[in-house]
Amino acid sequence: MGAMPQLVVSQVAKRYGRTTILDGVDLTVHGGEVVALTGENGAGKSTLMRICAGLVKADAGEVTVGGAIGYCPQVPGLFELLTADDHLVMFGRGVGMGRSASLHRGHALLEEFGYPLRERSVTRDLSGGTRQKLNLALALLTDPAVLLLDEPYQGFDRGTYVDFWDHCTTWRHSGKAVVVVTHMLAELDRVDRVVELPVHRSRYTGAG
Amino acid sequence: MSGMRRALIMAEMHGRDLMRRHVALFLLVALPLSFYLASRGAGDSAIVAGGVGMAFSVSGATLFSVLSSTEVDQRLVLGGYRPLDLLLGRLLFLGPAGLVVSAAFSTLMVTASSPGRPWLTFVGVAAVALQSIPFGLAVGAAVPRELEGTLVLIGVIGMQLAVEPGSPVAKALPFYGAAELISASLDAQGRIAGPLVLTVLYGLVLMLVARLFMTGRVDVVRHGEIR
Repeated sequence: MGAMPQLVVSQVAKRYGRTTILDGVDLTVHGGEVVALTGENGAGKSTLMRICAGLVKADAGEVTVGGAIGYCPQVPGLFELLTADDHLVMFGRGVGMGRSASLHRGHALLEEFGYPLRERSVTRDLSGGTRQKLNLALALLTDPAVLLLDEPYQGFDRGTYVDFWDHCTTWRHSGKAVVVVTHMLAELDRVDRVVELPVHRSRYTGAG
Repeated sequence: MSGMRRALIMAEMHGRDLMRRHVALFLLVALPLSFYLASRGAGDSAIVAGGVGMAFSVSGATLFSVLSSTEVDQRLVLGGYRPLDLLLGRLLFLGPAGLVVSAAFSTLMVTASSPGRPWLTFVGVAAVALQSIPFGLAVGAAVPRELEGTLVLIGVIGMQLAVEPGSPVAKALPFYGAAELISASLDAQGRIAGPLVLTVLYGLVLMLVARLFMTGRVDVVRHGEIR
């Protein structure tokens, strides 16, 4: 792999009470690489993604990144009574994008995912898959170098789901480091590498 | 300047969100009105009950704006906002909105109950509305969920309404200064400057508490760069 690492996770550990979720996890993702993060329920996949995004503090270890992070959570974090356009403007403003630039870039992304652009409903009234498309577009709005996608295709119909993996190929070609949490074993040939997180035994025994 | 722009966009979005909550908007006015109407038989104290009762609706709306969006808030911080931008955004929208509601409500009470110093009724009820925002922000940032936050609001504002106005407990509560202003508006007596200063100071302390807890709640870890 010739490209520079864009995400380096070194010996990251996380406990909640007496339960160890992550114990000395290492992960390096290069630019132009798509990594699938798999593991049983409770293995700590979402926790690791949240640590990488900076939303949760690790108890030990270090995360370093090569650029901006785009994070798409498993459950869309959206304001229920705001529209897609409202969200695009709000998220764009965070990085200093103007209103029209946010909408222009956001609409282009939404269109790529097959979002019905004529839809002016507030997010509460959107289907799960449509909300997820917006969720994904918000993660990509600022053209991040590192993409952390936590089961981002939930609620997608078959066509959009297939398109999603095609987009992973596009992101790979544009040099992004992509981590996708997935249980979809049939699609693992679409990624460069599969990293499986083990379930720590304390998850079941309560032992440290 | 960019910080102010971020706060303004948050104010706009909170405004859009609240304006689409029609039932909540109705309750924002109906709740203090019901306090006032229910207390009208008790004479002048109805204005105090109605005025302080406004704290329920404004701080309730503020509390909900914080607790219903913790996940989004953290994502916004990840996307470049500061926790302070999120607080200021709410303050910038809810402050003027609270003042509008308080002005309409004060007009109604002044017309119906004819207090001695009507202008001071406006000031006192406006002080309740403004104090309710840092109070709602502080409670919303400090407690984990809506239920706990609502119970704290009911407890604190309920106590403010129930305890003897001159008691030490009443003086320790956040709406004491504003309640004193409303009481002072009923006749030509009563202090104005002291309660006003107390309200401002209490509001500043509540904002500091809100900022402290909000930062702890939504701030994100900034990772080091790969060298």
